[in-house]
Amino acid sequence: MSAAIGMGVWRAPRWLKRHETLLAIILVIALIALGAFNDRFLTVENLLDQGRFITETGLIALPMTFVIITGGIDLSVGAIVGLCAIMLGYSWKTFGFPLPLAIVFALFVGALAGFVNGFVITRVRVPPLIMTIATLALYRGLAEGVSQAHSVRGYPDWFYFLGQGSLFGVPTQLLLLVVLIVVAGVALDRTTFGRALYAIGANETAARFSALPVDRVKLIVYTLSGLASGLAAWVLVSRVTTTRMDMGIGYELDVIAAVVLGGASIFGGSGTIWGTVIGLVMIQLLKNGLALTGVKGDATIVVIGVALILSVLIASSLQRRRD
Amino acid sequence: MSATAVASPASPLTGAWRRLASQEALLAVAIVGLAIVVGLINPRFLATRNLADILLGNAYIAVAAVGMSMVIISGNIDISVGALIGVLATVSGSLAVAGAPILVSWLVPLVLGVAVMAAQGAVVAYLRIPAIVVTLGMLSILKGGLISVTGGKWITDLPQNFHLADLSLFGVPMPVIIMVLATALAALWMRHSPRGRAIYATGGNPEAARLCGVNPQRTVLMVFALHGFFAGLASLVYATQLRVIQSTTPQGLELTIITAAVVGGVSILGGVGTVVGSTLAAILIAEITSALVFINVSPYWTDAVRGALILATVIADILRRQRRAAQGWKR
Amino acid sequence: MSEPWETDAAPSLAAPSLQVRDIEKTFPGVRALSGVSFDVRAGEVHALLGENGAGKSTLIKIISGVYEPDGGSILVDGRSVRFSSPVDARRAGVATIYQELLLFPELTVAENIFLGHAPLAGAGRVDWRAMRAEAERLLAALEIDDLSPDQVVGALTVGNRQRVEILRALSYDARILIMDEPTAALTEADVTRLFDVVRRLKRRGVGVVYISHRLDEIFAIADRVTVLRDGAFVGAREVAGTNAAELVQMMVGRRIDNLFPKTKAPIGAPVLEARDLVRRPLTKGVSLTVRAGEIVGLAGLVGSGRSELAQTLFGITPSESGDIRLNGGSVRIDSPETARAKGVAYVPEDRGAQGLVRPMSVLHNFSLAALGAFSHAGFIDRASERRMAEKGVARFSVKTSSVDEIAGRLSGGNQQKIVLGKWLANNPRLLILDEPTRGIDVGAKAEIHRLMGELAAEGVAILMISSELPEVLGMSDRVLVMREGRLVAEFDRAQATSEAVGAAMMGGASSAGKAA
Repeated sequence: MSAAIGMGVWRAPRWLKRHETLLAIILVIALIALGAFNDRFLTVENLLDQGRFITETGLIALPMTFVIITGGIDLSVGAIVGLCAIMLGYSWKTFGFPLPLAIVFALFVGALAGFVNGFVITRVRVPPLIMTIATLALYRGLAEGVSQAHSVRGYPDWFYFLGQGSLFGVPTQLLLLVVLIVVAGVALDRTTFGRALYAIGANETAARFSALPVDRVKLIVYTLSGLASGLAAWVLVSRVTTTRMDMGIGYELDVIAAVVLGGASIFGGSGTIWGTVIGLVMIQLLKNGLALTGVKGDATIVVIGVALILSVLIASSLQRRRD
Repeated sequence: MSATAVASPASPLTGAWRRLASQEALLAVAIVGLAIVVGLINPRFLATRNLADILLGNAYIAVAAVGMSMVIISGNIDISVGALIGVLATVSGSLAVAGAPILVSWLVPLVLGVAVMAAQGAVVAYLRIPAIVVTLGMLSILKGGLISVTGGKWITDLPQNFHLADLSLFGVPMPVIIMVLATALAALWMRHSPRGRAIYATGGNPEAARLCGVNPQRTVLMVFALHGFFAGLASLVYATQLRVIQSTTPQGLELTIITAAVVGGVSILGGVGTVVGSTLAAILIAEITSALVFINVSPYWTDAVRGALILATVIADILRRQRRAAQGWKR
Repeated sequence: MSEPWETDAAPSLAAPSLQVRDIEKTFPGVRALSGVSFDVRAGEVHALLGENGAGKSTLIKIISGVYEPDGGSILVDGRSVRFSSPVDARRAGVATIYQELLLFPELTVAENIFLGHAPLAGAGRVDWRAMRAEAERLLAALEIDDLSPDQVVGALTVGNRQRVEILRALSYDARILIMDEPTAALTEADVTRLFDVVRRLKRRGVGVVYISHRLDEIFAIADRVTVLRDGAFVGAREVAGTNAAELVQMMVGRRIDNLFPKTKAPIGAPVLEARDLVRRPLTKGVSLTVRAGEIVGLAGLVGSGRSELAQTLFGITPSESGDIRLNGGSVRIDSPETARAKGVAYVPEDRGAQGLVRPMSVLHNFSLAALGAFSHAGFIDRASERRMAEKGVARFSVKTSSVDEIAGRLSGGNQQKIVLGKWLANNPRLLILDEPTRGIDVGAKAEIHRLMGELAAEGVAILMISSELPEVLGMSDRVLVMREGRLVAEFDRAQATSEAVGAAMMGGASSAGKAA
């Protein structure tokens, strides 16, 4: 599987045996099955609605794919979402920023939070797992402290366009996500930056010895992870019309599950954006399908947890069989 | 014969003792010092009722931190314990309300806790899946499972004799007794039993441990099982103090438990730390939370303080190891 | 009483403590040991000598139970044994002290010694008092009086940690102690103390297998020495009856095949001029010059600091003082990126860990160091990348089914060609090669040498680090010799002979005899 690094699905048919293709087939089957079970499922309306819900997780899953490919992990993304949501609301309501500036500020906070992660990981050499667990606690705490558990409401109407509006019949945020998916996919597949990610994940020492700017690349991916979390916060607040300090809780599970389900190895060196997208869609499908058959919202995370563990188990045993 | 013999024959491991005792001593000093400082600002902080509340209300965190310390010392991590405690508390309460014998409603969480954690430990140890992934998945299985099974219903009408935490022995409330006993027994076991020492070996240098005849896989499995037991015990202390059990998992509980372990001297990279330290740290964290209220700082800053604590401790630990490694140690 | 590892029960008197006969060991693609015999007597220090790749560590791993031999036999006290795991070996009395010390930094000296076999008191708990007393006894046995059983190991110096390892071996009643490069990380004072410990071990009847490159140490401490080369037994000598020159000849001497047709290349202006480069711990003031079209061979024993120098020139471990001039201009090389930008390329010693990304394809490995050359504004031009890779495969005769083949599946020689090729895509002015032909077949070796000749003819300045004297002598226009972090000799092609270079490599221990 690692042999197919970024060599896009549009190459020769021998790549048909790849993880992503298998996943896509399963996805199609699942779509058909769920559609058969429930006639509300395969409607354009429903699917587009699902597209709305997928965006927040999807935005974060893109740089998370990068992070996991380099062999790292970022558990603080949910907390950064909460922090940025708070910063958006509070800089507008309490500090008096004009709303556009507040939005930019929130994005900046997200990028900064990610940058701090990346800086400590590359300079102080704290392992990513440990660093992002610690910042998970810190950023969530900051969100609580700044907000004092107060919510912010009453945004102007134009603000809701991103989260609730549509362009050409497609939910606005979904369009944003699609654009970024293409950008991320192209970056991973076709740029020197993307190639460097795979090299770092597969053999960081050799990457250094090949004069790749390893620390700079890592710093960038963690910063992007934070920035994407900030973007997701903006979309989220725009969609649910309020800012609350408990936003983003549990996002890290969905995001990591999507990336791993999509074929990225948790140990680094492999994975693609297309796989992550399929993973995202599958998870959202699962949630939607379950909801439509009456299972309550929170219970769906059980399935995601199982999916996460199973996919790592399967990937790991396949890898062992190959070695 | 040794010109620099430092230990009296009776005290074990004076060198290691001295280093760790300094962490524990530091914590004890901090606990007392903080109490004094806050007491000066707001004397009501030192009221017996308040101090008792701090201790009783957070004893369960210390109990859970005992098991978490073991897990981290062995070189792993677990973020599912918060959700597990929530589930076990609900199970316990439900059994009691459903009319089961009280002893059953107290023991089942222990057994269940061991089972769930041991399963995770087996996957980590034998299937080589990173602990973070397994426990992240389990976290959501437990959390979601709890909601879907109970529907978020609160458990009320708990029978009178359910409340183990209300009992006391020789005037000492049960939570404190359990906390002290758990800490003391675990500390003794980890210091004096070969299996306990094996945990330090496995976390300190797994290859060396293997060459010394320690089985790292079995040690990790054992550690997770023990962790499950302490989680069950913690859920008991927690649940039996409540009149109403909400069928939710306490938010951020696992982070508090991890913070207690890390601030208590357990290095996040494994191989060192004590449960006495983590218990003291749990008390300190609880004290800080209360102190913030008494000095008129919003309690909503508690988590930020906790987060800053864990970040600072982790960075300090990594820097310390690097400084030591610069002296020629390869790690 | 038959232990699990004993396979026949006929002990002989006065047999060596440990003996291996005609050991064979093959790994996929590599014949690590062929027909090696070796023995250690009680109370003797037997040194094992040979360059990297000679087979020393494989032999040691067989003796300590990590590997099982494909052929040959192992005898302990004359009894044939089979070790199917390190635990078996340890129970038979064989203990090993590796370079990577296997200790627990957060535990005490006593606990490190006894972990896994601590004395127990009632109720199965550790008997700390007994453990401490035992530790004191062991310390006394080796007359170590400045270590306390209660010190935490992580705070000890390397020398002391090593002594803890030795004590641990003793605690298992080891009768054969294998020490793998024990002085690699020690100060001179520590080395002296180590030797004291070794002498006391001898007096206790422990047989010591001492692996080292440092000839002066071997003459100081060993009774016998065995030389391995290319996985074969070259010879064994009494240390008192040999000298350094003979040992070096045994270590590196080979038939000089005419594999190195050094074509005459015009030598131009200096490309690299380094003055007084210092970088702790192993680069202690090195000055050298390499000119365009010139091949400078850098010889030296392992541990002399050659790779460290190369990595300083390449920016992995930037110099702490001294200066570097490239093509006449002064530069500060603080990272591999800077080095590459200035036209420096480095083919590292360890191709698996440092040179190649094995899970990636041949194609991707070829372009990894020169992505900038195949991209516009960050976007990789796949067509030109593929063309370059295919050209490279053709030019270097890399045997692979396609450029999409996974690099890790190729043979050593082909992998090495890829590492070389990936750097040539940058058109470097200075090419530093670190053991370019180690562990590869004769055909690939010849191709790489031919390539070096071509590059020199094109005006590339080449600095070649090699432990194979014939390669150094055959390929170089000039030969530099490093020893313990300094350049100690320089020879023109005409003056460079095996004896002269070998003597310079060893430095002061060129006369025979060991210290008392």
